[in-house]
Amino acid sequence: MFNFTLYKRGMRETFALLLIISAVLAMYFSTIIPMYDPSLESVLNQLASSMPQVMAIMGMGESGSTMAGFLASYLYGLLMLMFPMVFVIISANKLIARHVDKGSMTYLLAAPVKRSTVAFSQMKVIATGVFLIIAFASLLGIALSEALFPGKLEIGAFMLMNAGALSLHLFIAGMCFLCSCLFDESKYAVGFGAGIPLLEFAVQMLANAGGSAEKAKYATFFTLFDASGLIAGEAGAIAGMAALFVGAVLLFFGAIKVFSKKDLHI
Amino acid sequence: MSIMEVKCLKRDYGNGKGVFDLSFSVERGEVFGFLGPNGAGKTTTIRHLMGFLKPESGTCRIDGKDCWLDRPSVQKNLGYIPGEMNFFDDMTGAEFLNFIEKYRGVDSSIRKMDLISLFELDAKGKLKKMSKGMKQKVGIVAAFMHDPDILILDEPTSGLDPLMQNRFIDLVAEEREKGKTILMSSHMFDEVERACQRVCIIKNGRLAAVDSVDGLKAAQVKKYEVTLESEEAALEFANEDLAISEISHAHVTVLVQNNISQFIALMNKHPIVNISAPSQSLEEIFLQYYGGEKGV
Repeated sequence: MFNFTLYKRGMRETFALLLIISAVLAMYFSTIIPMYDPSLESVLNQLASSMPQVMAIMGMGESGSTMAGFLASYLYGLLMLMFPMVFVIISANKLIARHVDKGSMTYLLAAPVKRSTVAFSQMKVIATGVFLIIAFASLLGIALSEALFPGKLEIGAFMLMNAGALSLHLFIAGMCFLCSCLFDESKYAVGFGAGIPLLEFAVQMLANAGGSAEKAKYATFFTLFDASGLIAGEAGAIAGMAALFVGAVLLFFGAIKVFSKKDLHI
Repeated sequence: MSIMEVKCLKRDYGNGKGVFDLSFSVERGEVFGFLGPNGAGKTTTIRHLMGFLKPESGTCRIDGKDCWLDRPSVQKNLGYIPGEMNFFDDMTGAEFLNFIEKYRGVDSSIRKMDLISLFELDAKGKLKKMSKGMKQKVGIVAAFMHDPDILILDEPTSGLDPLMQNRFIDLVAEEREKGKTILMSSHMFDEVERACQRVCIIKNGRLAAVDSVDGLKAAQVKKYEVTLESEEAALEFANEDLAISEISHAHVTVLVQNNISQFIALMNKHPIVNISAPSQSLEEIFLQYYGGEKGV
């Protein structure tokens, strides 16, 4: 089921990209976290307690005003969606479709190794990469927050939000990996693997703009990742996270099945 | 006992491309030549044998196991040289061979070193920067190093210089003596003549002939290019009772089959300046043979 040699090779192949994405995230984290202003929190909290209805209408519940809420809106609204996604899109293509396209898959299959083992090992490379990026971001977020604003970050809530981000990116990885297994040519694997999540992301931004476009949120899976909902510990947000995770498992499983059954002109 | 068995294999790509109702078998301890013009379906057949493609109908079996359904178990005892060498470009030759060794999970370091020195392979360079011949050598080592009993070789000597081609043919002969079974596609007649016992020829995806190499050789039509003093002399020479395939200026191309003494006698009567025997591709030879006699 698992070929360690291939896994190691895959990790090495994606390592440079992993470093770059982590470095970019580190740069943003260390620029944005110091911008948090605890005094603003107390002001907002005072406002919230003095006139709760008004603050609720403005969409600033208590979670939005805490440090975790600050991180949710400034880091997990865009940056933590985009950068891990870049990693996922590029590495998913690299690990299967590119080998098929270039013909080097020949050597992986001209060996007593099952196709499902090849696909599973490569899938683990992506899953490991996604996990490492999110784990790095979580630790960095906690470390920076604790260093600059000791005791301000609700670590449990922050970790739950990161678990949500992990599920989201595993789900995207599942889609990209499925495309990588489905198409024989890199250009289609990347076209669909990148195209679908980016389109969905655009729909999400449209939905965020509010108004009549808000209904668009039902057309994008990004809605299932509700960062502030996770911080508040809402059941709906946790269900969304679980749905993404289950979806990711199904997509990966489907990708491995597709790869095991398809004709390869290599 | 048949080691490789292709039975009624079919894969239709449309436009007459593909493989149609192809059946042949390779016996244990045999070097079997697999021949045909470009686009005849050789590589498609090999892809089925390797389990890369699922037959539309028919079956491919190696050692009694289905090539599509029992891929991993078939591959355990199989060595393969692909028609095109596509490696992981960022690796050096040595890194690649180590990777394949570990990936297969077989320790083959001793045989690997033997093969590297046999082919004088410098495996230190990056695969991306290697010449075609060097890459081919890496592919040969990768196919033979785990000492498989069955080998599928798709144009194994392409890119090799004549010296290395000879070494490769010797290697194939050695392997045969050890009882290995080898299927080998090739374009060079002399290579097939030296390496194989039997050949199968396919054309347009269908089996054209299966014959022993000796049978093919007996039927071989040899081609000679004769140069005469002048164009008139060439025309005069061409009027003799010979099979002429081409006349251009003072050159006459003659086809000779079992009538070499008559050809020599006629040459003595005419002012011949030069004679040469251009190397013939296998396709040419078999197209003359089958095209002329059986109208394939």
